[in-house]
Amino acid sequence: MQVSTSHEATARAMDVPLPDAVPEAAPGADGPGAPPPELVVRGLRKTYEAETAPVRALRGVDLTVGHGEFVALMGPSGSGKSTLLHLLAGLDRADEGSVTLAGVRTEELGGARLARLRRRHVGLVFQFFHLIDHMSALENVALAALVAGAKPAEATERARDLLDTLGLLEKQGERPAALSGGQRQRVAIARALANRPTLLLADEPTGALDSDGAAEVLDLFTRLHRDGQTILMVTHSADVAGGAQRIVRMRDGVLLDADTSGEPS
Amino acid sequence: MADAFGAIRAVARAELRVGWRATLLMGLVFGLVAGIVLGGIGLAGRTASAYPRLVDAVHLDDARALVAADQPQLAAAVPSLPAVAQARTDQAWIAQIDGPALRFVSIGAPTTEHDGLVEPVIVDGRAPARGAPDEVTLSEPLAQSSGLGIGATLTLRMLTLDQVSMFDVGFGPPAGSTTTVRVVGIARMPAWGGALANVQAGPAFAAKFLPDIVGYAIYARFTAEPDAAQRFGAAFARTAAVVDQISPSVVSQYLPHTVELPSATVDPSVRAAEQVLVGGLIVFVVVLALGGLQVLGQSMLRHHSARGATQRVESALGMRASERTAARALAAVGAAVVSGVLAGGVVLASGWLEPLGSQARFEPAPGFRPVWPLVVLGGIGTALVFVLVVAIAAAVAGRRRAAAVPPVRAAAVNPFRRWPAALLGMRLAMHGRVGRGGVPAVATVVAASLAMAGVVAAVAFGASLQRLVDTPARYGQAADLTIVDAREADIARIVADPRVAALDVGATGTAELADGEPLEVASRDVRKGHMPIAVAGGRMPTGPGEVAIGPRLASGLGLDVGDTIEVRRVQGGTVVLHIVGKAVLSSQNHGGIGDTAVVTPDVMRAIAPGQPLYDAAVLAVPGAADALFAELSQGLEVFQREVPTAVANLADLVTLPELLALVLAVVAGAGLVHALLTAGRRHAREVAVLSVLGATPGQVRATLAVMAATTVLPALVIGVPLGLGAARVLWWQLATATGVAGDLAVPGRLLIVIVPAVLAGALLLSLAPAARAARTPPAVALATG
Repeated sequence: MQVSTSHEATARAMDVPLPDAVPEAAPGADGPGAPPPELVVRGLRKTYEAETAPVRALRGVDLTVGHGEFVALMGPSGSGKSTLLHLLAGLDRADEGSVTLAGVRTEELGGARLARLRRRHVGLVFQFFHLIDHMSALENVALAALVAGAKPAEATERARDLLDTLGLLEKQGERPAALSGGQRQRVAIARALANRPTLLLADEPTGALDSDGAAEVLDLFTRLHRDGQTILMVTHSADVAGGAQRIVRMRDGVLLDADTSGEPS
Repeated sequence: MADAFGAIRAVARAELRVGWRATLLMGLVFGLVAGIVLGGIGLAGRTASAYPRLVDAVHLDDARALVAADQPQLAAAVPSLPAVAQARTDQAWIAQIDGPALRFVSIGAPTTEHDGLVEPVIVDGRAPARGAPDEVTLSEPLAQSSGLGIGATLTLRMLTLDQVSMFDVGFGPPAGSTTTVRVVGIARMPAWGGALANVQAGPAFAAKFLPDIVGYAIYARFTAEPDAAQRFGAAFARTAAVVDQISPSVVSQYLPHTVELPSATVDPSVRAAEQVLVGGLIVFVVVLALGGLQVLGQSMLRHHSARGATQRVESALGMRASERTAARALAAVGAAVVSGVLAGGVVLASGWLEPLGSQARFEPAPGFRPVWPLVVLGGIGTALVFVLVVAIAAAVAGRRRAAAVPPVRAAAVNPFRRWPAALLGMRLAMHGRVGRGGVPAVATVVAASLAMAGVVAAVAFGASLQRLVDTPARYGQAADLTIVDAREADIARIVADPRVAALDVGATGTAELADGEPLEVASRDVRKGHMPIAVAGGRMPTGPGEVAIGPRLASGLGLDVGDTIEVRRVQGGTVVLHIVGKAVLSSQNHGGIGDTAVVTPDVMRAIAPGQPLYDAAVLAVPGAADALFAELSQGLEVFQREVPTAVANLADLVTLPELLALVLAVVAGAGLVHALLTAGRRHAREVAVLSVLGATPGQVRATLAVMAATTVLPALVIGVPLGLGAARVLWWQLATATGVAGDLAVPGRLLIVIVPAVLAGALLLSLAPAARAARTPPAVALATG
């Protein structure tokens, strides 16, 4: 898996502001000569308006994910994990705080620039896959590459390679409805990897799968991490989180601690 | 069972709490649409039944004949002829009326009481009093053309029978009695003219002016035998022949022994107009009904699909699908009642609507005329349909959520388009309802195509109708003025007038085909300029073996340009005439269009026995027609161009296709707006996924624009040619029935404008879901989509 590391170049290419201060080295980083962190979050707050009272989903989150790290974000339902993930991916806007992704502060970006940043640096995997029903597995994967500007032949080639890598080449012409849950999630992971993102964000990727499917997906994440892919995975399962290099716990909208039990493999 | 009903009621209450506004709104919309649909059905019924109801109301006769006053024995014999169940004999007069132009009218009056046979409906005023010789009613057409109304006085200068016999040579001032009468009523009949006089007087008039009568108008009702008309016709012809031998009439050339069959003969233009009106209304009703059902169904499906999770919970609690459906149907009962009441109210109000277009002239009972069964049953039916649609939508939504999506074997991978927006946009447009609410894409395309076809057909039909009405030559009225029985000296003087652009002397007579069928023939002797007679195909005859026949005649005989007809010669034997064209002429005998065969004057003399009717057709230079008419009508019987009844009937319809096109366009537009907006909502998740993949707002807008364009393009590609084809068929049928040219006026400008306009509209509409997508964070759309 080829991973981009030149954040300054990215920022210049996208005409986006660099962070005011260089963030501290991430846990697991190898010292002054190591690449900068993939993700830096500072003081992130988000409140949703509800019928009865506002829901404070995030109450000031600080988090740094280093290059090549596999971080599991754990917490009970309603703790704010998914909200955090969505803010990191730029799928929603924070009320306060900053997210620096690949060296670029996302809160200052407009819709188009944020989209370009996301397509270049972020791959997203969801619990319920969110594949497009009307498209085959191959088309679902290739669509991501096409959106990023790949030529049709290149996008098809890349999609086919990814499906082959994930053991789904024979299913390339099937629509999602004809695939098992595990196969759908693998297609979703292939789609997330289609643009060679620097950061893979996964929101309960095993939550809708049986144990075999979950093991299959977890194994795949481990392989990706071994190849240098940076991964931030949200889960409420300790078993699933156990596969990660580092576990971060969350409750009531704040991070509780930073677990470094996992080492890069 | 009681437990189940309790659960149903509880769920219904919950449904009402959450969705009563939406359900009530849909009830109101559906009630309004259903009311318009049912009102349209009622109006179609009133329009279609106007003519037969008038026939019943006036006790229309089966047979009618005009007999000359010098053959009273023939008039006296008619009531006792075979197949006559009832008969009535009126006296008839012809009188010149005072006015700016020379004009003659026929007058009829009964001598005795007549029970239930030919009683015109009085639409304004009253019938003449029995003892009042100075009171008359006018036919509606005469009242309209003369401008005479109730209370107007009319000086009648009656002709003698001898003067009538000199119509073709001139007879000086009227020599009969002169009287002044007062118009006391305006009368309505299915048709006027022939034996039925446009001025109707009472028995006192008949008694007072008995010496001046020129004929007898005899009306008869047949017995119920199937061959009554044939038996009566044969007996009348035999009797007339005998009477002719004993005492020939001096006006035999003007009063041939012909029998009219009013109840069996309906003016084809009336039928054509009725078909167009009722057909248009049916299209309107069907489109509106389908549109209403689609909108209701789609909305309800979406409404219940959005609450699919609730149904899953109810299912987990043990409620069966039928119970869940029943609960939702129960919750919709209130809205259904509202929709039924509203629909019934609209139908009731539609009782004020008179029959459409020309058919209003046949309404025997103008004014408020509600169709109570339609009001009551329509209201109940609307409520039931509303509940049914809600129940079906709830059942479908419940099943969709409960059942697993069946695996679908995908087709081979299609080559990707260069543009991801095109790839996804087209896919979304072509897949209307996978997993979520909404109708199949094919249904949207079919509905939009039909609506587009309807709009194009209505506009093309309307354009053809407008062109016909605006172009007198197309209905055989190329001349501005027609001078009856013009003499050569007058013709020479008129030809010399510089205000005259063209003048033809026409002759009209009756020839016989080889099989004995009568054939009205006419010839045109060009004296000056060029008279723009409409030729629907081919050309006018120029030689002795050529004929151009009218479109209706051609249709009736099954002939076309290039065929031949065999006609009897006056001197014996037959002559074969080659059909070289289809000429549209208006008959000088009966005003019909397209029934006449046009030949050269030489052929006319060879095949038409007896004295033809001569007329001079005058085309004035632009702007001179009125002055010429005013001058010529001082001494000659001159008629200005008159729109034939058939065309007048059609002229009343001119706005109908435009109205229909407008309604169809509104319905189609509303349907398309609804389809595109709901499609945008339905595919909000896919659009959010596209954003997740890094699509820019521009790419999202493009995707939705492609989806909108892909939805409407098939409608244009299919609908436009389909509409033109339908219009061509419909116009050809109407034109053939009317006797005018059947070529369709293709609305080129509309066709040039409609495609980009519809596409532009669709693209504009796609901005709404795009704006919503831009407003809604993808995270929210994914969570709720």
